Amino acid sequence: MTQTADWLVAPELAPDAGDPVMAPLYAAATRGALALPFCAACSTPLELEQYVCDACGASAEIGTAGREWRDVPLAGTVHTATLVHRREPGLIVAPGPYPVIDVELASGHRLVLTTAAPSGQAPDIGAPVEIAFRTVGAVTLPAVRFSRSGSPTAASH
Amino acid sequence: MTQPPAITGLGMTAMSVTAGPDSYALATEAVAAALADAGLDRGDVDGLLVGSSQGVREDRLGVALARRAGFGDLRLLEHLEIKGATAVAMVTRAVLAIRVGMARTVLCVFADAPIGPGKAAGSTYAHSGGNAGVRGLERASGVLGSVPTFALLASRYLHVSGGTEADLCAVAVSARAWASGSEQAVNRTPLDDEGYYASRMISAPLRVLDCARPVNGAVAVIVSSERPAGRTAPAIEIRGMGAVHPMRRRRAGGESWFGGGGQAVDDALAMAGTSRDGLDVVELYDPFSIVTLCLLEEYGFCAGGQAGKFVRGGGIAPGGELPVNTGGGQLSGFYLQGMTPLAEALIQLRGTGGDRQVPGAQTALVTGIGGRIDHHEALVLAREAA
Repeated sequence: MTQTADWLVAPELAPDAGDPVMAPLYAAATRGALALPFCAACSTPLELEQYVCDACGASAEIGTAGREWRDVPLAGTVHTATLVHRREPGLIVAPGPYPVIDVELASGHRLVLTTAAPSGQAPDIGAPVEIAFRTVGAVTLPAVRFSRSGSPTAASH
Repeated sequence: MTQPPAITGLGMTAMSVTAGPDSYALATEAVAAALADAGLDRGDVDGLLVGSSQGVREDRLGVALARRAGFGDLRLLEHLEIKGATAVAMVTRAVLAIRVGMARTVLCVFADAPIGPGKAAGSTYAHSGGNAGVRGLERASGVLGSVPTFALLASRYLHVSGGTEADLCAVAVSARAWASGSEQAVNRTPLDDEGYYASRMISAPLRVLDCARPVNGAVAVIVSSERPAGRTAPAIEIRGMGAVHPMRRRRAGGESWFGGGGQAVDDALAMAGTSRDGLDVVELYDPFSIVTLCLLEEYGFCAGGQAGKFVRGGGIAPGGELPVNTGGGQLSGFYLQGMTPLAEALIQLRGTGGDRQVPGAQTALVTGIGGRIDHHEALVLAREAA
């Protein structure tokens, strides 16, 4: 596998793609899809580290049929966002401030991500965004792409 | 003489912003100071509760402190862990043990030493967290340490409440005004709005002056049903205790940071038989300025969305309607998690606050929070009648 340097972080921050909690998400990302867990019994969107459904009480343990990973639409809106100015030497390789975005996905999940392409702007809360992908070390992971209608109008901070 | 559990000893190290002794050495020093304050020997203590910061570090304080700090046989010995709420929870745990006769005199100690040689605390935090789980994905997305997470909270809060960064500024400036009168505070230089806005942005909208001031240090308190004859200060009664752990889900279409925490304060006030109006000082866990705003609303001191206006009007500052974080809190005082608000409440109720003393302070609220404001622990403390 070829590795291209990520725009934001050093390879040592690559997630553990073999971590059973997250492995299906990273596996899906390598094929350009966003997969997230649902309760198999009632289809409630589950947090990534949620193992019992809070809606119906069904077990959603890792590796069981109660935890259903489904490909979800690559669309969401901004729940909240920040532009991070502090760049830890050795871990952050971007030359300037970078955005971190908490996305409300159309599937009902929430994920905290940065952008796929280099950016020095944080989007407005409520702006529509799309999900794209970036690669850190050897791991592909989801990231935000600003929708044409939701791109930041100005560096707000 | 056996009486209701009260805090009869307080020991604090100097709060250092440079590398020095490890957390075990700091804790041992605070333990000795608390014993001297209470007029007790190690042999008088039959319980030891230990709390430490959550980052995995070599010198993280644990129950090995019992041996390290020179104690003999103990009846109660535990390392408590409820994230940032731990220090306040230790006092509750001590009271419960004493009430059922499982201990008589319990020392609660918290120590932290995130600042190492050539290593700032922020760097220590940035390197903590690992590559697994959701945290692994978030760290790969640039969420290092806790500031970006609380910046996300701040952005959301200001959006929901209609607030602005002037609200954050008012919290930081109020905290510094209190700190300027505190011998224990690390940042005592006067601060105005201009100085606040000139401070370095860490993760918008949070500037460095919106963030807790990490230190190497330790605090120990003694909870006891006895009133040692040699104690140096009045006993501080623990009149009310409350805790709540709201289980909010991070899901689209809802708020995941706010709501549910007020029950801890309601319960503590009810147990104490008092109300918010009966509080002379309020000591909140304030790792970031935004948290003070959230908690003022969460705990029922301000209506939803009104905390910013209250603080901008001087409501929590010296001379204000509600004295909050009277030692400068974690922002300007020092960041030793729940020991920061607890120690300050004890100082105020003892009447030893010097230049920042709230005249006649008799009753205090102390709260600790953990996680992303997921855990709340509250105490109502009151000075015992002589």
